[in-house]
Amino acid sequence: MKPTLMALATTALVPVLAAPALAGAPTEAAVISTYADLAEAGYADSLATAQGLQKAVDALIAAPSEATLAAAKAAWVAARVPYQQTEAFRFGNPIVDDWEGKVNAWPLDEGLIDYVDPDSAVNEENDLALANVIANPKLTIGGAEVDATEITPALLETLHEAEGIEANVATGYHAIEFLLWGQDLNGTGPGAGARPFTDYLQGDGCTHGNCDRRGAYLKAATELLVSDLTEMAGNWTAGGEARKVLEADPARGISAILTGLGSLSYGELAGERIKLGLMLHDPEEEHDCFSDMTHLSHYYDGIGIRNVYTGHYVRVDGAVVSGPSVSDLVKAKDAGVDAQLRADLDATVGKLTEMKAAAEGGMAFDQMLAMGNDKGAAIITGVVDALVTQTRGIERAVAVLGTSISVEGSDSLDNPSAVFQ
Amino acid sequence: MRRTALSLVLAPAAVALALAAPARADVPETVAKVILPGYAGFARATQDLATTAATDCTPEALRAPWNAAFDAWLGVQHVHIGPAEEEGRALAIAFWPDPKNIGGRQTEAMLQGADPALVTPEGAAQLSVAARGLFGLERLLYGDASDTNPAYACALRRALAADLARMAQTIEAGWKDGFAETVLSAGTPGNTTYLSAAEARQALFTQLIAGLEFDADTRIGRPLGSFDHPRPERAEARASGRSLRDVALSLKALRAFAGALVQGIGPIPATEAAFDRAEALAAKLNDPVFAGVADPGKRLKVEILQQAIKATRESAEAEIGALLGVRSGFNSADGD
Repeated sequence: MKPTLMALATTALVPVLAAPALAGAPTEAAVISTYADLAEAGYADSLATAQGLQKAVDALIAAPSEATLAAAKAAWVAARVPYQQTEAFRFGNPIVDDWEGKVNAWPLDEGLIDYVDPDSAVNEENDLALANVIANPKLTIGGAEVDATEITPALLETLHEAEGIEANVATGYHAIEFLLWGQDLNGTGPGAGARPFTDYLQGDGCTHGNCDRRGAYLKAATELLVSDLTEMAGNWTAGGEARKVLEADPARGISAILTGLGSLSYGELAGERIKLGLMLHDPEEEHDCFSDMTHLSHYYDGIGIRNVYTGHYVRVDGAVVSGPSVSDLVKAKDAGVDAQLRADLDATVGKLTEMKAAAEGGMAFDQMLAMGNDKGAAIITGVVDALVTQTRGIERAVAVLGTSISVEGSDSLDNPSAVFQ
Repeated sequence: MRRTALSLVLAPAAVALALAAPARADVPETVAKVILPGYAGFARATQDLATTAATDCTPEALRAPWNAAFDAWLGVQHVHIGPAEEEGRALAIAFWPDPKNIGGRQTEAMLQGADPALVTPEGAAQLSVAARGLFGLERLLYGDASDTNPAYACALRRALAADLARMAQTIEAGWKDGFAETVLSAGTPGNTTYLSAAEARQALFTQLIAGLEFDADTRIGRPLGSFDHPRPERAEARASGRSLRDVALSLKALRAFAGALVQGIGPIPATEAAFDRAEALAAKLNDPVFAGVADPGKRLKVEILQQAIKATRESAEAEIGALLGVRSGFNSADGD
């Protein structure tokens, strides 16, 4: 049914194109409203699934076992599904971009948090790369002593990006991922991190020491994730800060939407997160390097970008949020540009589906990027090329709407990455 | 001859655009006078480096041609469209910054492993981008990394120089044998890369803006760090003492690029003045590797240079953007 309806709508629009009036185009305010509704639902879903993760983590700490560790990992994977889709809201909305580092910072020097293999890569630019907070109740940061006797959310916030180094990631999904999976020491070979559940056993069975402090860290990090997501979910409800900013200037809001889609597609996803790993053949260069769930992160980013452009989000419970979209605005001005961009977004999701299938079939992202893995390289390159193509499509949509992109609104100019340089 | 042929190719596009905009020299000017000669120069310089390395792979013999190749790269380093972008070539030519020292670790591992297959032209092309190119060579020409295995280091220098020359040649050929035409025929039927002349103008304009951003935010911003935590060790090409030289040569190249973009269209007095100021500040700054960022008295001068480059970007964005009728597109630094 749906494709037929869309085809009819497109046909009906063709004569309209010749006329200057934008018959059928939604107002910018209506598009902003849908966008904010999608964000509200996306962050609410992220919060609910993070609360599910919190329950599973509590169960793991209360009674460590293979089963409770597996359940916590499954809850983490489930929590990433809605969150990754919200990444399309990040660039372009300073309120999201300024906050994002607290929940999804990557890559991290995990030796800050817990034990690591002494032979694994150490960041020579980071004095805290082996600080191991879990084993050390007293730390020196930037010359000052920090009391880490009690591991609390507040302590984690102090450690986060300590000494101004972005790799000091003490909070968020990837810190929790490390505490659940542990380091992946398989290089570009098969296998993810293999942390034993006994890392959380209290008393004699405790492995790698400090199991009480490890449990406290995991609990504090999860609690902080929930409170950070609570804050962001609130920003998008009626009267919330993020929504108000966009509603106050819908035209600028349209620019913010497209900025977010293009910046995520190109600099962040195609470059930093996907192409760079292949170019370096370095398994550390994968977004979910402990769990080997990188393919899911990329996949749901791609879905999230398409959600925003088309104004359509399928919630975790299956309910659909939809409404007038940027796609409708573009279609009213140039149906060809809209149809092409929709096709580009679908093509990217298709390539990401191939990547996801390959990973689920046994070739994880860190295996795809191995030197000499031509099949893996082809899968990665297919995704990168599709993302670059859709970025061109987004630029065309920007031009058609007569708007501009506003990267100044993000912190990207202060912290550029050298991808594609 | 070449120009005539190009004009003919461009004619349909010009007609199609006649109502929207006057005929322009911007894109052909930039391609013919800046981009193509720039890549030709880089190909020559890297060939010289490879030729020298083939007969003498000692650091003493290679430092001068390596510096000449780096100088040539700065003429086109900001151009991230077309053949330099394909197969990650620009990354492989100059992988920097490298905050986790991936290149250093991979180089050390290679020197220890001494795999003969990696020091062949085919082997070098398979290596991680962090271990290749200008910075892969810098590591083996300056400092003591080579001490691990001097004989293998020599062979590796030879292989990396040949690999660099091959990439430079591939990029130059790619532009001459196809991509220049793609840019110049923007908006003509069959061109699926640039659907209008404005798209090609925007693509080139974006390279200019992104290049200025890279100089200010990365080449200078990384060593600046913060006042409380300056990061002099993060300066680009610090081992070879090129950090400031790279900024100065990049500014020179970007200025030529900007001038070509507006050739025959209109004056850019604010941008010219901003370039004058930034280039004069760079010329006066007696701090070749930005070591002064850690000294409160000298740090200010580096900050002032950074601000002057940011001001140049703002002027260029407003003034050249208006003349060309385009706005900057997405660039690779738009992520975090």
